[in-house]
Amino acid sequence: MAFARIWHMLGGGRRRRPTSAQMFRQAQRLRDDGRFEDAAELVADALIREPGSVVGHLLAGSLHMTLRESGQARTSFERVLALEPTQPRALLGLARIALEDGETAACRDLLSRALARYPDFPEARALLDVARGLSAGAEPTRPVTPAPAPTPAPTTIAVPASAPAGRPVPMATVRSEATDAPKELTPAERLRLPSESREALFMRPDATLVFAEPRGPRTEAVAARAVKLARIATAVLARAGFGPLRHAVIEGAAETTYLRTDDAALLTLAFDRDVTAATAVSHLERVWGSCRSELA
Amino acid sequence: MSAAVATARPALGHDIRALLGELMKLDHITGGLVVAPDGLVIAADLPREVEAEPLSALAATLGRELELRGPQLRRGTFPMAQFASVSGSAFLGSTPVGFILLLGEPQADNDMVRGALRAAVGTVYRALAR
Repeated sequence: MAFARIWHMLGGGRRRRPTSAQMFRQAQRLRDDGRFEDAAELVADALIREPGSVVGHLLAGSLHMTLRESGQARTSFERVLALEPTQPRALLGLARIALEDGETAACRDLLSRALARYPDFPEARALLDVARGLSAGAEPTRPVTPAPAPTPAPTTIAVPASAPAGRPVPMATVRSEATDAPKELTPAERLRLPSESREALFMRPDATLVFAEPRGPRTEAVAARAVKLARIATAVLARAGFGPLRHAVIEGAAETTYLRTDDAALLTLAFDRDVTAATAVSHLERVWGSCRSELA
Repeated sequence: MSAAVATARPALGHDIRALLGELMKLDHITGGLVVAPDGLVIAADLPREVEAEPLSALAATLGRELELRGPQLRRGTFPMAQFASVSGSAFLGSTPVGFILLLGEPQADNDMVRGALRAAVGTVYRALAR
């Protein structure tokens, strides 16, 4: 007892520097409390002491993913693989980042490596199914321009508001009052896009654009993302025991996107947040009917 | 009907589990989970026949894809999304911690579920701001 007191007075009882393992454990506790930035800082400090820690780099990768810092997460996971080439969580982490970046082939390769080493890896199996589906056709393979407007053909898909009740009016044929010649309708007019719609995209399952309003330099990339999103959502629904995706509502910061799809096509309409869901869905169904008729 | 599943993060996980428990009380909601952006399950309460790990991996992928739809989006800035099939719907909410996924039957009141999920997302934001 006396010895212990003297030892303490001499400084032997001074708190020791935590080991890197203790720092990693503390970082995990901080992460569990939602203090992600603090946890990431602590892991970075611990990795200075122990740069060869697989646990530390994995934890860093996970924290960077939570902080949505994909580039730094990628570096962390690559460091893990440099230390342990078949580490499954690092392979999965890199595969997820590759999928986010549209690098489908790299994603497939990483997941295949993980599954070759650990065949019972359900997360990797689920993502690989999605990646295979995406490479089967979701990537737009060529820039596509909208098909020229077909020769207006009478169709009875809907009745314009001005039409007499009970008398379907050909949608794609109107006469110019000045010339009395058939006026070619724009796709927006043919499909009767609602005036409230901020953006409309209609595409095939391989992301080939059939129609876009407005159309800009990023439109095809947006269409490809919509198809990718629909495929991942279908995979989620399948894992939950549900059927394939048919409708979606995606609330954004400024607008809400409504999606309608089947095996042959996909339509998205974006509206300002102040348009009610009922109104938006009604527009969506009407435009969807017109689009599917056009496609047929 | 439901099988309680594992949790990975006890501290924040406790609050999250409570939140998920409240959402599970909504009519025609059959399951739910909370998943970190790296795909790690934080809390889950799913029907017995639904595996948590693959569903959480896909839910996190879907959540990230939604976050990345616009280059201006930062973490957690798409509040809510719903994906529907003829046999049921998946509702997904985004928070800084990760994503909340709810599974609903076709009879679920979509507007009500989306509203509840939006409120839950707000609760997580407020908890983290404490």
